[in-house]
Amino acid sequence: MDSGVWALQLLNALQYSMLLFLLSIGLTVILGLLHFVNLAHGALYMMGAYLGVSVAMATGSYWAALFLAPLLVTVIGAVLYFALIERLRHSGPMNQVLVTFGLIFVFLDVVRLLWGDIALGLDVPPLLAGTAHFFGIAFPTYRLFIIFVGLLVMALLWVVLARTQIGAMIRAGVENSDMAAAMGINVGRLFFAVFCVGCALAGLAGVVAAPVLSATTGMGVSILVPTLIVVVIGGLGSLEGAIVGSLIVGFIETVGAALAPNVAAISSYVLLAAILILRPQGLIPARG
Amino acid sequence: MFHQTVTRSLVLAATLAGLALYAIFGGFFAREIVAEIAILAVLAISLDVVAGFGGMVSLGHGAIMGVSAYSYGVLTVIYGLPPLPSALAAVAAAAVFGTLVGWVTGRSSGIFFIMATLAFGQMAYTLVFKSRWLGGDDGMAGLPRFDLAWLGIDMGSSLTFALFAILLIAASYIAAAWVLRSAFGRTLAGIHANESRMKALGVNTVIHRARAMGFSSLLAGVAGIVAAQHTQYISPELLFWTVSGEVLIVVILGGIGTLIGPMVGAVAFVLLKHQASNYTDYWHMVIGLILIAVVVAGGRGLYGQAEHWLGRGARKAEGLRRA
Repeated sequence: MDSGVWALQLLNALQYSMLLFLLSIGLTVILGLLHFVNLAHGALYMMGAYLGVSVAMATGSYWAALFLAPLLVTVIGAVLYFALIERLRHSGPMNQVLVTFGLIFVFLDVVRLLWGDIALGLDVPPLLAGTAHFFGIAFPTYRLFIIFVGLLVMALLWVVLARTQIGAMIRAGVENSDMAAAMGINVGRLFFAVFCVGCALAGLAGVVAAPVLSATTGMGVSILVPTLIVVVIGGLGSLEGAIVGSLIVGFIETVGAALAPNVAAISSYVLLAAILILRPQGLIPARG
Repeated sequence: MFHQTVTRSLVLAATLAGLALYAIFGGFFAREIVAEIAILAVLAISLDVVAGFGGMVSLGHGAIMGVSAYSYGVLTVIYGLPPLPSALAAVAAAAVFGTLVGWVTGRSSGIFFIMATLAFGQMAYTLVFKSRWLGGDDGMAGLPRFDLAWLGIDMGSSLTFALFAILLIAASYIAAAWVLRSAFGRTLAGIHANESRMKALGVNTVIHRARAMGFSSLLAGVAGIVAAQHTQYISPELLFWTVSGEVLIVVILGGIGTLIGPMVGAVAFVLLKHQASNYTDYWHMVIGLILIAVVVAGGRGLYGQAEHWLGRGARKAEGLRRA
């Protein structure tokens, strides 16, 4: 393979990594801060894609979908939070896994009920249609846009987490939530805010992915396992961990699939198992 | 800790007798359902041994069942070996796989154990899915049933196979109850209740967890053999993680940590599935909502809740007698 093909593979890997990042950052902070295992995170991503398709159809604008779909997913998340998640916060990982597993089933059929079984596409806006040419390679502009969105969210989150008071409160909550509460931080409200941001990012990932991958009923389940792998590899609750984890899994699954398809298919699972056994706290844990 | 109470023995006998009557008088479709129930019931009993009594919630039991089914397929279809020894070897393969998974994951607990079993299960799924030798996503067809013609038994008949499957539920339950009542079973319950105390007593908790997974996988392997012989066709779907999730749902619906509950859960789950599919296309939503309701209501499950009510009545009567 020549260098142009390699560059394309790397860009594809980067684009997939950014989707994984948008999903895993929400999941990892929810896990690190709330100690809540949310298997329905993938279902929220799916809802984001379907709601995005509907909003785009109703308004005729991709940009409206890009802003409204994450908002609607956040509303769904908030309803779930008050109906179920708040009361399950202290009931152990098994009940959380079970209830959110049940939610996957419910969302799956809600989508089938409202949108049917057929995969739905979403048109790329005219501004982002077409192909970008640079350094002698051609790459779809829209995929560059996905990479851009991922990097933008990464930068924003870094600023918020590392440079603001809210960020310091969140980091304190991840480190030791009892102590944070004793210092006068309203941990419950903080949890809720973080949960909502996580849902919004899952919805955003769904809309952004819809033009490339189409909205399908299987998308939530198929992205869930790679996202969980990212979270465990990176370390619960850490931004840096989510970034590193998404890049590792994204590159293994994309570049690896081009190099050695059979090895790549299981290598992220092998990596996950190795991390769980040798370094269960993850590569870059939030807790020091 | 496990106790084989009179109630449990009665429920076991009544359920198995009910299934047998249903198979005998219910026609072909009923027998297919009974075989389906048997696969799920054995797998649910197997999962309850580790999840209910060892606190090890595995999301890899579908894959363990699949290891047995595929080993059976390889030995009989590809190498042409006779069914009975192949089945024994396949169950042993599942037990070895499960023991290894248990040994490697035995140090982790909670969400990390769930993730680790998920990872190993998906690894097995992906390997089978990608392997052309194993038929890839086309699966493998033409798996033989046991040949018991020398006993005058025709396993090809749907009734005989359904009764055979019921027999395996009974055997799996008895084996699980026997192991849980042994010293090993009590140690396992002790590790679940207080791991550091058991360690202080000198118990090697990792080895015990690995052995528990091994025994549980042996039962899952039995389920795999029934699954392989039932439709005589296997596909990688058998190993996918959602299968493991479904079995976990069955265990919860029936009543985790009661051993008999998961079997009752399997009966209820399969019957409900076939009933619901007559009325609605959205069966998954029904089961999802039921699951959420059961967990939010306290997570005792059908049988667990009944036993709780019975136990409360008995405790009250006991109190009155003493007073």
